Amino acid sequence: MTAAAPLIFDIRRYALDDGPGIRSTVFLKGCNLRCLWCHNPESIDPQPEIGFYPRDCINCGDCVEACPVSACQLENPARIDRGKCTRCGDCVKVCPGQALRLLGCFYAVDELLEIIIRDRMFYEVSGGGVTLSGGEPTLFMDYCAAVLGPLQDLGLHTAIQTNGLFDWREFKEKVLPLLDLVMLDVKLADGNLHREYTGRDNALVWANLEGLLKEKPDAALPRIPLIPGFTATKGNLEAISRRLQDLGVRKCALLPYNPTWFSKAESLGKPIDVRLSPHLMTPGEVAACREIFSRAELIIH
Amino acid sequence: MSNVTFTVEELGLRDITLKNMPRLQRMRDRHFDGKPAICTELPRNITTFWKEKLAKLPDKDDSPELKAGKLYQYVMERKEAIIAQDNLLAGTTTTKPLGVLLYPDLYPLCIWPELETIGTRKKNPFDITPAQIKELNSVIFPYWLDKGTIMEATRKALKESDQECAALQERLVYYLVSKPECISHTIPHYGMVVKRGLADIIREARKEEDKPGKSKEQKDFYRAVQLALQGIITYAGHLADEADRQAGMAQNQERRDELQEISRICRKVPAAKPETFHEALQAIWICKIALHQENANLALSLGRLDQILYDLYAEDIKKGHLTPEKAVELVGCFWLGIADHVPMIPEAGEELFGGSGSNQAITLGGVDRDGKDAVNDLTYVMLKATELLVLRDPNVNARYYPDVNPPEYLQRLCEVNITTKATPCFHNDLAVIDTLKSQGVTEQDARDYGVIGCVEPFSAGRTFGHSGAILFNLTSALERTLFGGKHRLTKDELIGEQTTPAVQMNSFDEFQGALKRQLGWLIDRAVTFNNYCGRTHQQMHPCPMLSALMEGCMEKGQDVLMGGATYNFSGAAMIGLADVVDSVTAIQEFGFPHNGNAMAKMIAAIESDWGEGYRDLYAKVKNSSHKYGTDSPLAKDNAKWLMEFLHNTFQSKEHYRGGKYTVGYWTMTNHAGFGMLTGALPNGRRKGESFASGITPVSGSAPVLPACLNFIAGLDHTKITNGQALNLKFPPTATTTPALLSQTIQGYFLKADRSPGGLQVQFNIMNRQKLQEVTQDPGSPEYRDLLVRVSGYTAYFKDLNPQMQQEIINRAEYDLGTKQEIRYPYYERKEEPEPEPGLVARVVTGLGNIVRYVGNWFGELIHRTPAPIRDFLKMLEDKSTGDFLEGLLHFMEFRLEDPLHLDPEYHKNIAKFQGTYRFQDQKSNIETVVSFADGKMRINPDNPPPADLTVTFQDGDCLRNFLLPSPTPKRDFLKKDIMKSILNHEITVEGNLNLLYKFGYLANHLILHPLP
Repeated sequence: MTAAAPLIFDIRRYALDDGPGIRSTVFLKGCNLRCLWCHNPESIDPQPEIGFYPRDCINCGDCVEACPVSACQLENPARIDRGKCTRCGDCVKVCPGQALRLLGCFYAVDELLEIIIRDRMFYEVSGGGVTLSGGEPTLFMDYCAAVLGPLQDLGLHTAIQTNGLFDWREFKEKVLPLLDLVMLDVKLADGNLHREYTGRDNALVWANLEGLLKEKPDAALPRIPLIPGFTATKGNLEAISRRLQDLGVRKCALLPYNPTWFSKAESLGKPIDVRLSPHLMTPGEVAACREIFSRAELIIH
Repeated sequence: MSNVTFTVEELGLRDITLKNMPRLQRMRDRHFDGKPAICTELPRNITTFWKEKLAKLPDKDDSPELKAGKLYQYVMERKEAIIAQDNLLAGTTTTKPLGVLLYPDLYPLCIWPELETIGTRKKNPFDITPAQIKELNSVIFPYWLDKGTIMEATRKALKESDQECAALQERLVYYLVSKPECISHTIPHYGMVVKRGLADIIREARKEEDKPGKSKEQKDFYRAVQLALQGIITYAGHLADEADRQAGMAQNQERRDELQEISRICRKVPAAKPETFHEALQAIWICKIALHQENANLALSLGRLDQILYDLYAEDIKKGHLTPEKAVELVGCFWLGIADHVPMIPEAGEELFGGSGSNQAITLGGVDRDGKDAVNDLTYVMLKATELLVLRDPNVNARYYPDVNPPEYLQRLCEVNITTKATPCFHNDLAVIDTLKSQGVTEQDARDYGVIGCVEPFSAGRTFGHSGAILFNLTSALERTLFGGKHRLTKDELIGEQTTPAVQMNSFDEFQGALKRQLGWLIDRAVTFNNYCGRTHQQMHPCPMLSALMEGCMEKGQDVLMGGATYNFSGAAMIGLADVVDSVTAIQEFGFPHNGNAMAKMIAAIESDWGEGYRDLYAKVKNSSHKYGTDSPLAKDNAKWLMEFLHNTFQSKEHYRGGKYTVGYWTMTNHAGFGMLTGALPNGRRKGESFASGITPVSGSAPVLPACLNFIAGLDHTKITNGQALNLKFPPTATTTPALLSQTIQGYFLKADRSPGGLQVQFNIMNRQKLQEVTQDPGSPEYRDLLVRVSGYTAYFKDLNPQMQQEIINRAEYDLGTKQEIRYPYYERKEEPEPEPGLVARVVTGLGNIVRYVGNWFGELIHRTPAPIRDFLKMLEDKSTGDFLEGLLHFMEFRLEDPLHLDPEYHKNIAKFQGTYRFQDQKSNIETVVSFADGKMRINPDNPPPADLTVTFQDGDCLRNFLLPSPTPKRDFLKKDIMKSILNHEITVEGNLNLLYKFGYLANHLILHPLP
């Protein structure tokens, strides 16, 4: 079962890290995992959310007047009392400085395609294209297919970033034929830890990766997020690299930890787990992780 | 057949470095060590010619053309033959290693007041010797004061109803017509020099002259061409003599051989057709020198030298006479020659044009006349010389034809851009050729375009485009629309078109209509003034040398100024496009759709300089998604009708030599200069801030790079007929690779339906921190060659005025790593400039200087010197009582008339000087007439003759600011700001401005040397 109309919380144009060439990356809102370290905290909830960006606030107080449930208070550094907030969006409408923003908008497929196609020439000349990301885009397979189809017809490179938790048959039927690249995140080798830190078991992730490798091996790119203290442990990375090797994977990608998402969580009034590092990884730490995969003769993308 | 024999790996010619090019290294070091020095050779020769030679019968009745022919023959014959140290090419533009050219009939008299301070001014000082000061002050300038410069001759020609054209020019905020300074923005046909030689052109001229049926004007033209070109050949002979002389003295055999080769070449070219690459470069170089004696060194451009020289290059390589290394060295010598002079810029001009080189554009690559890939090995050789030398001149412009030029060529261009940080800039052949065709240029000629000055593309060698004819400040029309025909800086002054003040308007349509009326009126005034100036040029400054090297002139027997070239245009450059579009959009969005006082609030907001009370409106305006450079349909539509209106209006105007007016969007440093003088605007721009440059969006308003590029690519290029400058800045990170840069350019140049995208783009590969470091330590040798793209041309960052430096620092910077435009903190208040030291402090400093000047007997001076000096010094001290002017004049009179204190040298200034000045304040409290005649100075004479010049000023302080010389490290008290004086309407001048320059010199000299 997939929902028909996802919300989109960002369309990042001129993206250089989400596949080959110059790309546009579309972020769908809503996720079936609850990763402790989620870098896109605004991507989890499928409903619209209101973010507060203090840098843009001019303290005019218009939001306080507009809020029907008195959730906005100037004295509150986070501005919104999330317990009271009904996400009606009245405060966003009156905010002159866009310090309050509504995250998550609905785009009809044609509307989204029109935006994507604006940058078509940049994709063409760079071998780039479009990446669907999230959240978890496979929660909205029909929508994905509706978007990807016309893009494929235009000859654009198409890619998806997924956590691997999807119904294989539906994915294979509706979405996979429309994709040139599937970036599938492999987080933890151990099923129990996976459950503990993401809320779901990982058996389906591995099964789907296997299916993908069988069905469309050239399109598969497993990606391993490096989260210090969680996934970026010697044991976990060695276990993942062995398993990838066993599956016949030749290349994979590592995603070094980046704590800049802390501010995004703060804007949404979401807590940050105290165990998470507020620092970037050092080049040495990243190199040590790479080394593990190189030893397993995996090409790091 | 491709003309590239290098493999893809070889294109960068990586083995060639400055280390293994010791000659270029030495020459480059000397170039950067040098300080520009005023050269008086040219004004001396021109003045002597007019004064002595041409004063005789029968020459004085010659037509202007014939006089010019004789003049340039004389100038070239007398030009000192110099071969710069180490150089493989003979000849120099001036007699100095880095010379400042003065053209006496154009604009040099404005430096008269500054003669004694120009050597020590803070920004870009010029060396000048006491002998030169004396020569200019007592011989050269007085002659042109009497004879008249282009500006003064034009002023005299203005009809009563057109007088305001000059007034608007002198208000500085509306438009600047550049013809009083130069007509140089063009590309001569150097192909004629290489394919034919001057002797052949002389033969043709003689033949044409003798043909029956030619008019007197035509005969005179052909005669003039022969004389002037003969002068160039004589000069080449002198260079050969000099080479022989130096060869005789040469210390080593290698240099002796070089000099003997130079001598051989200069005896052959440019008269004969060159037969080697070296000969061709020398021939072009000599002609280039000659053309700079005729026309100001402002944007006289080079054209497509990689095309013109390629055959000889390839032949030499084939024969084994030349290697790519040797070719890089020769091109390097040529590049350094191109950079051997700088334009004369008075201090006030530094504010507007500061740091500008001579903007001699060269054009590389593109397609040939048949549309085939024209990139060749020489293109890569020239790129290598550019990469090694990193010079502001020549201004390197690269052409790229999508799908025709190879991608590795574009990638190499990007690599050079990243290495040099600022050059070349990129032109889209597809769009440019299409635009030129829309202007009536044939397809073949359109393909053969070259870039003039900053970024203006025209068919090379056959277009007299004068692409820098008019600098037009769009925001001044916006101001006039907002305030009912007034400009905030000229306060209550009402000139010309009156429209309803914006607060009383009822609809956006009404606003749009008023803006069009104001624009239309200003355009008409600017164009009218340009036409007047053009006609003055025809009478005063024909150009036989330029005409000989311009396709069309020889066929028609007509000077370029008369319309001899195949194609004729005059170009206008629009300043402030993005700020005006965003302001118009903001008015549309926030001024009209609401009831009540929305527009009143907007006006109040800008009148308060977006003060605290308007933070909400400011936040709304700043955060609106309807911005120039985004996907906003509203902004796109406003840009569209505005640009269409400008295009249609300019193109509909009559042109003095039968061409068309073209419209471009590049701003040099004027977006900073005009910005300094303009109040807050409806788009959230604050008072005094720079406008967005060229065709570029306002910094911070176009955060999405591809949206920005798409927006510009989506503008109708056929309405951009005089070039554009899109300025983008990328930080030099690992992400900024040649590959990515070239993909970005390709995506911008071509639309999905394969129709042309954007005309042009240029990149600074630089980050904010680095530039800020330079402003902290501008003297550091590390930064002396730090090159930046301003808005069109390239400049050394350290030379730019602070406002322009800040504009480049703040310029939209796209971090390709984060995909975002880097944003600066919200609601960032511009730091208030440090308050100027008060008058008392200035006077104290000033008196201190005088103390130093006169040594220990200062005390004695105060007590024992005669009353006028005491009064004068007291006057400097006391603003309220002492009237500055009275004191100055009496002191001047004292020094000129008092037999005991008479300074014979100073007195010479007025020995033969006739002129009457009227100084008055606006309230008519003060009215002083000063008359100079018969070697006497008289203050308020009984029966004063009519004033030649009337100066009206607000108060003594204004006059002081206006008259006294530039700030120097030692003499801060002499600070003046002519620009501000004029703009604040503190001073108005009526009559011959040259007289004011003379008076400025007299006053400044007195203050710098208060005692004999």
